[in-house]
Amino acid sequence: MNTCAQTLVNPSALPAVASDSAPRRLPGDLAIWFFILAELLAFGAFFIAYAFARANNVELFNAQQLALDRNAGAINTMLLLTSSYLVVRAVQAAEAGQGRGAAKWIVGGFACGAGFIVVKLFEYAAKFAAGVSLSSSTFHMFYLILTFFHFMHVILGLVILAALWNGARKGRYGPGNMNGIETGAAYWHMVDLVWLILFPLVYVMR
Amino acid sequence: MSGTFTKAMARNIFYGGAVFFFLLLVALSFDTMGGLPKSDNRANLTESVLRGKHIWETRNCIGCHTILGEGAYFAPELGNVYPRRGAEFIKAWIKSQPTGTPGRRQMPQFNFTDQELDDLVAFLKYTSEIDTQKWPPNIEG
Amino acid sequence: MKYSSQSVAMPYFIAAIGLFVGQIIFGLAMGLQYVVGDFLFPAIPFNIARMVHTNLLIVWLLFGFMGATYFLVPEEAETELYSPKLALVMFWVFLLAGAATILGYLLVPYATLAEMTGNNILATMGREFLEQPLLTKIGIVIVALAFLFNITMTMLKGRKTVISIVLLMGLWGLAIFFLFSFYNPGNLVKDKFYWWWVVHLWVEGVWELIMAAILAFVLIKVTGVDREVIEKWLYVIITLALVTGLIGTGHHYFWIGTPAYWQWLGSVFSALEPIPFFAMTVFAFNMVNRRRREHPNKAAVLWALGTGVMAFLGAGVWGFLHTLAPVNYYTHGSQITAAHGHMAFYGAYVLVVLTMISYAMPLLRGRAANDERAQVCEMWGFWLMTISMVFITLFLTAAGILQVWLQRVSSTPMPFMAVQEQISLFYWMRLWAGVVFAAGLVTYLASFFVKGESKPLIHA
Repeated sequence: MNTCAQTLVNPSALPAVASDSAPRRLPGDLAIWFFILAELLAFGAFFIAYAFARANNVELFNAQQLALDRNAGAINTMLLLTSSYLVVRAVQAAEAGQGRGAAKWIVGGFACGAGFIVVKLFEYAAKFAAGVSLSSSTFHMFYLILTFFHFMHVILGLVILAALWNGARKGRYGPGNMNGIETGAAYWHMVDLVWLILFPLVYVMR
Repeated sequence: MSGTFTKAMARNIFYGGAVFFFLLLVALSFDTMGGLPKSDNRANLTESVLRGKHIWETRNCIGCHTILGEGAYFAPELGNVYPRRGAEFIKAWIKSQPTGTPGRRQMPQFNFTDQELDDLVAFLKYTSEIDTQKWPPNIEG
Repeated sequence: MKYSSQSVAMPYFIAAIGLFVGQIIFGLAMGLQYVVGDFLFPAIPFNIARMVHTNLLIVWLLFGFMGATYFLVPEEAETELYSPKLALVMFWVFLLAGAATILGYLLVPYATLAEMTGNNILATMGREFLEQPLLTKIGIVIVALAFLFNITMTMLKGRKTVISIVLLMGLWGLAIFFLFSFYNPGNLVKDKFYWWWVVHLWVEGVWELIMAAILAFVLIKVTGVDREVIEKWLYVIITLALVTGLIGTGHHYFWIGTPAYWQWLGSVFSALEPIPFFAMTVFAFNMVNRRRREHPNKAAVLWALGTGVMAFLGAGVWGFLHTLAPVNYYTHGSQITAAHGHMAFYGAYVLVVLTMISYAMPLLRGRAANDERAQVCEMWGFWLMTISMVFITLFLTAAGILQVWLQRVSSTPMPFMAVQEQISLFYWMRLWAGVVFAAGLVTYLASFFVKGESKPLIHA
């Protein structure tokens, strides 16, 4: 790819990209923002539904919430936050013209995301063993629908990060060619953002 | 605010989103199939019920009636007709059709044997015992 | 018309319109049976009339989709159709099989028809919209496969545009999900569960791809807006349609013996289902506003805009009205459902097929657009049909609200038939709106025969 050569010739293009006078630019592709909007609407509707269901059933929700594994949730929060940070570094690296450097940051981000999956699988295994299912109670239903829906998003996010890693390794991203990596990063940050609401709402708040 | 909007990205998001949500639907269907034994009254799925369902289908009952709310809206809901009317009433009603009352909706005469009527009632009884999350709101269907 | 093989679309369009007329005739008969219960009894009982009404709808829409595809794909692929002969053979096979099926419904008792056509070997009949005899179902699969083969081969040898790829995906999906119609377990809950994999995944899934692709094609042609722009919006809209519509299937799994969690899933996702329809409306109007040319076929533009608006109203708004589980608990299987069904099918699928016919028919007849007078006549047909469909929907909605109130909400619920008598006034009004619809259809048909000077053919 010619962008590869471009990146090599252009190592000095440091973060001075977004100057104040330039019009504000939407990072990533407009199409992903439509997708993110639809996703946030779906999650938002579920959060509101959760609030209503909880209001009708406060005691059950509180009791079963206590049985959730807050430690696993907290570890996962750290993992996703770290991962998001690493992906930000990857985007910055690409913007600075260090396309291949970005690949290393992405590997880190991917590893944290994969860690999330592993922790979550252990958490699910324990819950399923304890008889938690979509039909075992209203709280369990919300717990599973919300976390599993999010879990699937993390998996999709990992697929996207893998694609970004592949692209970055081949030097596909750099100043002037940020659309792919920014779009993938925007999606990954959405996954993180949703978890930052989901975790306190379902695991902690009483 | 300016931004990038490329066809290639829109395409990737379409494929990703479509596959993702289809897999989610498959996963949920899988879970549903696992949970069905608790709600679908399969324990009472006797030979007679199966014959009754076949009669229900081959007389195109769904062309006028609803069953669990699905079908045509021309004639009463039959998902709960068993508790509403009872076996004897249902059989007598089917046998006495059409009423011939001028201007009133008419149901055809199907000339069922007693065995067929019993099978049909068995099917309606089985259907009425499916756990439908308390639908319909009342016995009138 | 750029490629001579596009002309195979013509018989498909004519057949579609012919069957449409049949559908409306049976619709009127049923509208009358709703208020004069013994009308045509026992010659054509309601269930037979309804089966003919709905099956004709499905078949003529399929004819319309196929005709649209035969017109669209050669032009998009910039090559002649792989086999025009196969297309014509399949046209006659499908038409004869369809006609034989309808005649079978009308002339033979349904139970006898089932026995004659192998229903005892594999029972698939007697389920709403899938009443076709086994032989017909197999025929549909064969025709669909031959059709898809023909189209896929055409695309493989030509240019692959986004529009034709999306259309082809929709058509393949249509054929694949139809296979669930062969699965009819004795367990009623499972039966219903997978029945929706045909019905819902058709009309709120793959058919939306077909619809959006056809609409995008016509919009490119009549507005001259850049293909790049239209194609990326096409992707965004169909993404939204599938994101909301796939799990939106759950709004059919509230009360049929499936687990309670579908009430939440179905409600949340189907509450978002109006979004793609809204996007489609905005898209259509935007593209027409940004048009780079004044296409002489004004009528086609009107149909296209009408598709956007009516699909949003019928599928989006009327769908949302009763899709939330707490509301649907009361409205499920009432006249509200009928109201939604009528406007959604008309707005989304009838109109998109008529949009394509309106755009393509003049070209197939050797002119860019019809004479002014013919177009005015056609547009009268549009307005009469569309406005009367709005009234049909409003009257059925009113009937439905009353029905729900008297039969389900009231503390002293009334029996079904007693309620039906209470709301018969609305059925009468619906019938009259239906008569106006038929008048609109006649006006539309007449527009094909208005003579006048034709516009010269321009190659755009």
